[in-house]
Amino acid sequence: MENVGQVILNALITSSIYLLAGTGLTLTFGLSRFPNFTYAEFITLGAYAGFIFLVQPEGSFLLALLTAAVIAGLVSVLSYSLVFRPLVERRASLVLLMVASIGLGYAIRYTIAEIWSWSSLSYQTVWAAYEVGGIRVTSLWVWIILTAVVAGVALHFFLTRTKTGKAIRAIANNPELASVTGINRERVILLAWFIGAALAGLAGVFRAADTRLFPMLGWDILLPVFAATVLGGIGSFYGLILASLILGFAENFGVIFLSGVGLSTEYRMAIAFLILIIVLLVRPKGIAG
Amino acid sequence: MDPLIYVLDVLVFAGIYALLALSLNLEFGFTGLANFGKVAFFMAGAYTYAVLANLGVPYWLTLLAGAVVAGILGAVISLPALRLREDYLAIVTISFGEILRLIVKAEDQLAGGVHGIVVPSACKFLGDSPREVGLANVLLVYALLAVVFLGLQLLANTPYGRVLRGIREDEVAVAAVGKNTVFYKMQVLALGSGIAGLAGGLFAQYLRYIEPYMFMPLVTFLVWIMLMLGGAGNNVGVLAGALVVELLNRGTRIAKDYLTLPVDPNNLQFILFGLLIVIILIYRPQGLIREGPMKTVARERATKWLSSQ
Repeated sequence: MENVGQVILNALITSSIYLLAGTGLTLTFGLSRFPNFTYAEFITLGAYAGFIFLVQPEGSFLLALLTAAVIAGLVSVLSYSLVFRPLVERRASLVLLMVASIGLGYAIRYTIAEIWSWSSLSYQTVWAAYEVGGIRVTSLWVWIILTAVVAGVALHFFLTRTKTGKAIRAIANNPELASVTGINRERVILLAWFIGAALAGLAGVFRAADTRLFPMLGWDILLPVFAATVLGGIGSFYGLILASLILGFAENFGVIFLSGVGLSTEYRMAIAFLILIIVLLVRPKGIAG
Repeated sequence: MDPLIYVLDVLVFAGIYALLALSLNLEFGFTGLANFGKVAFFMAGAYTYAVLANLGVPYWLTLLAGAVVAGILGAVISLPALRLREDYLAIVTISFGEILRLIVKAEDQLAGGVHGIVVPSACKFLGDSPREVGLANVLLVYALLAVVFLGLQLLANTPYGRVLRGIREDEVAVAAVGKNTVFYKMQVLALGSGIAGLAGGLFAQYLRYIEPYMFMPLVTFLVWIMLMLGGAGNNVGVLAGALVVELLNRGTRIAKDYLTLPVDPNNLQFILFGLLIVIILIYRPQGLIREGPMKTVARERATKWLSSQ
């Protein structure tokens, strides 16, 4: 019998990574109105940027996280300025923006593979492990969950208390009205693209530290992350928090169910997909819609 | 390597890709349905072919079965997907492709799982030598490609094709004149997926061995490049796009053998493909060949009248 406490902890870790990876996706989905597949590569890029500092066991994890956030954020801002803004200005349709985001994603992924090769790597950091009431806890997992909580709380205050945060919500709600009130739209959108991808970069470092590092890392978690953003209601940060928890728990308890009925645990990803389909059929606007 | 076989090989792949690109053109180019899971239906056709051919079913029937299975899958996936916005349709179709690959990988008693499956060739009708088999493949692929191409060209210029373009331009308007747009879109996804399934069957029997790693999302992306490069909505343009992409593909493989580049040509190829599509979308979104006007009787008369003036 599986240890229920351990499964709950695993579910929280999965949820935390989905929340960090999905925040930018849902914010920029709401602002720029297309699903940005390049997010997979922002996650991967963060993971590899962090690797620079974690080749040695004594490398600073905090420094790795900061670098990952900054590099993923900068590449995201560049991709907006050089690719997506010109496309939006030329009135490209939603589908063409998606195709462009997939194309740009391949360019970034194969560049990463060219620099670091296709073989998988792993961080050399050694994590302290503790035994708390029969549950194994590592310091990495504490990092992951704490970061997600801190980012969640910080983002809540940012979106509700600061002028820029309110502007982000205003533009997502009604772009014309927001422009009329004198909000500098471009600056706000750039900031949202930076913050979102920076969080995705953190998710990449955590995912790589928890499993392994390879160029498909971001792509492999992108679909569950999309499922979380759709389930939460596109553009809704609070919906995403709830959706990440639902998916994290469904996946980790679902895997136990799968092995219980004799199915391959490889179907883990299919759980998120199944939930996505049900949501789209029953409530296409998501929890917050 | 025998240069003739190499040329035949390029032709076969270009033909199979052209079938995929034509099917996406029917779905997206004409009807505006963004199918990002093309590889799933291609894979369904390939595996149906592989499993049935190994059971000894005659090859023309297996090819047909592959198309039918993929077509049915297309119709089934359209049920939840078609009432959705196009961004959701994209996410659902792309996920479907990932899940299908997952199933084939996990259920290894079905078709070999990650180890792949050996497939009997369909093309022995000219003889057994590599050249004869290669030529037979070219004949088979291009005969089917010609049928599909002509069929789609005719379809595009019928009232049915006009409804499809109408759905692409303004679905509400088409629904308002009494057309059941969801039913039309379902037919299009079924037909498009069927064509992709046919391409999958041809692919499997030509390679004589398939494995799940041949059906990565990259295939879907390549087909989208062909469509965007050639020009969405134009079947001739899409054929040109398929040929150009396949030649670029071969070009980098040749470069790998004859040039010593500081970068891996395979990586470089996809970096360039990724950037190429971005550049096309920004600077020439209509593709190489623009979508032409509809050929209707009224238009023909108007042209005649104008030229007689």
